[in-house]
Amino acid sequence: MSSIPCAVVGVGQTHHKSRRLDVSFGGLVREAVFRALDDAEMTLEDIDAVVLGKAPDLFEGVMKPELYLSDALGAVGKPMFRVHTAGSVGGTTAIVAASHVQAGKHRTVLAVAFEKQSEGNAQFALGSGKGASLGAGGAFAPFIRSYIHRSGAPEHIGWKVAVKDRLNALKNPYAHLQIADISIEKVRASPMMWDPIRFLESCPSSDGACAVVLTDEAGGLAAADAGRPPAWLLGASSRSEPPSFPGRDPVRPAAAMVCAADVYAQAGITNPREQIDMAELYVPFSWHEAIWLEAFGIAEEGDGWRMIDDGSTELGGSFPVNCSGGVLSSNPIGASGLLRFAEAANQVRGAAGEHQVDGAKVALAMAYGANSQYFSTWAVGAEQRPFG
Amino acid sequence: MARLVESTITFPYRRSLGPVVGAFMTALTEMRILGTRSGDAVLVPPMEWDPRTGAELGNDLVEVGPSGTVESWTWVPNPSAQHPLAQPFAFAFIRLDGATTPLLHAVDAGSPNAMSVGARVAPRWRGERVGAITDIVCFVLGESAEIEGTDAGPASEPVTRMDYEASITYRNPVPVSADRVIEASQEHRLLGQKCPVCERVYAGGRGYCPIDAVELGEGHEVDLSDVGTITNFSIVTPVQYPGQTETEPFVRAFVLLDGSDVILSYQPVIELPATDVRVGQRVVAVWASPAEDSDEGGAMGGTYGRLIGWMPNGEPDIDDPDLVNRIF
Repeated sequence: MSSIPCAVVGVGQTHHKSRRLDVSFGGLVREAVFRALDDAEMTLEDIDAVVLGKAPDLFEGVMKPELYLSDALGAVGKPMFRVHTAGSVGGTTAIVAASHVQAGKHRTVLAVAFEKQSEGNAQFALGSGKGASLGAGGAFAPFIRSYIHRSGAPEHIGWKVAVKDRLNALKNPYAHLQIADISIEKVRASPMMWDPIRFLESCPSSDGACAVVLTDEAGGLAAADAGRPPAWLLGASSRSEPPSFPGRDPVRPAAAMVCAADVYAQAGITNPREQIDMAELYVPFSWHEAIWLEAFGIAEEGDGWRMIDDGSTELGGSFPVNCSGGVLSSNPIGASGLLRFAEAANQVRGAAGEHQVDGAKVALAMAYGANSQYFSTWAVGAEQRPFG
Repeated sequence: MARLVESTITFPYRRSLGPVVGAFMTALTEMRILGTRSGDAVLVPPMEWDPRTGAELGNDLVEVGPSGTVESWTWVPNPSAQHPLAQPFAFAFIRLDGATTPLLHAVDAGSPNAMSVGARVAPRWRGERVGAITDIVCFVLGESAEIEGTDAGPASEPVTRMDYEASITYRNPVPVSADRVIEASQEHRLLGQKCPVCERVYAGGRGYCPIDAVELGEGHEVDLSDVGTITNFSIVTPVQYPGQTETEPFVRAFVLLDGSDVILSYQPVIELPATDVRVGQRVVAVWASPAEDSDEGGAMGGTYGRLIGWMPNGEPDIDDPDLVNRIF
């Protein structure tokens, strides 16, 4: 299927915090939007369509925030779309925005995602407004128990991921958690929240937003000529599966594996571990790094934890994961997926700052949502067609 | 016609107002109304950005009103509990003196005959003001502002946040297949449905196979065992939020029913402390007495009528290394 090449030419995000009490909804998203526009050397006038993503409206109690925010996003008189695929929504937002460019429908599209968790309560919203909410940790803990059992991974793997991502966050000025004295001992001593998940193996609740400017081949080439390297879209895919049926495996969800295979086929990636230089994976609980390394074919089944144990996924390792600090360090839920996609783009643009992976040319980003049933993934590259 | 179950979700949200709306709300506590300049225009309420272009505005706030002119209106003859006034009133677009855009608010005019485009109105302020648009109770006809009750004065601190209690009431239809499961539970029977295509069995009255997109009904029903084995579990440390019912860590277990591949996910347990729950444990269904029946459930899936949870049945544990991987 032929499509128009698509390039990421602007990335912006807020400083993520527990409570951004200093800004309104509109003020929050506009911080990210204007950083992305400045990065792209564009103004709102250059934007042809806007795609907004966020988690369920119950999180902040504003129904149809895409309508409420249309003027804040400069979308009056322009096409405006809302995306919702639970926790994966930020990634899906980027993919929907890219598809408008790839289809030739709109030349330059602004993807925006946000959450302002301080206005409501995520546990309330995830529990459908009832008592005894499982929360995400309560829903996912059994999946992690199953992974640990079947892989035989030692318990320190979860602690290592928790430390690695928080050390990476110290190199990312936008990251919410800045825990300078993070250590294995500190993670191990933190309270058990949803056995086997400890407090410091869990993501925070954040207010924050992210914005990405996507444009066509001419726009990408023009940015490159101006000395602002774009990230070229190599492959993008969204897949889902029903939440429950006998035989469903949330550790290796079929939707995740189909999603990965689709992206790799589009990008010409046949050996993800060798051909991809780094990945931003959606890891809200530490063990999900190992789970997704395997489900996305970066590690063999049962071996994902070994990449963590031997330091491969550290910033200086052979396959760095979540150099930004990841979801474990910043979790404005709706934006968390788009942050993965934006950080991957910045890596291949050489624009990741202190958490840049030296010489990163191809990067992978994924987000998942709901009961590990929605998946969104893209691969981006410094070159348009690195694998032919 | 399906039975309808009504449920209400309520939550006390707290908005961050930002610099411009925050200043507007703070001024309301001082019985002043602010707009913002945008070129030659004065926008009321003030905005952080130009609503047409999204361009940043200079936060150039200016006082307007408090009197104004009705530009358009409609009559509300039967106010609901969520309306600003209990008696019939007008919703009106009011262009406050000095503003170029109208403010939407209520006018306590007594009768629609008293309302007209061009009518002059002034605010009736609330005596106890908190920094919300409801600090203006409504507008009244004429040029004279009023105060309802005793004036408690302005806010002592700048207003930066606003409480907003959202409430929504749903009426969900309960599918016939779900009602059949509830009926069976009164006889302590656990019903499932078997897909004729893939032969997977689903507990409860789901009414369809999510794999084959086949409708499942009475003809697909199968009886399921009410004895099973815990395959996996979650111990949830409750986070406190409005509406939370739990204070201590609680268990949700996955139960594989005897003689089937059916797993009931995230099930409550009874007489099984969080410290004792384990994979392989044998459990039996616990059924509520008729007196405990409620109207709840049936809408979000995973309802099994009077099944209230699972308790250990005293049988020895099952030792199967694959059990823990069986979650759905």
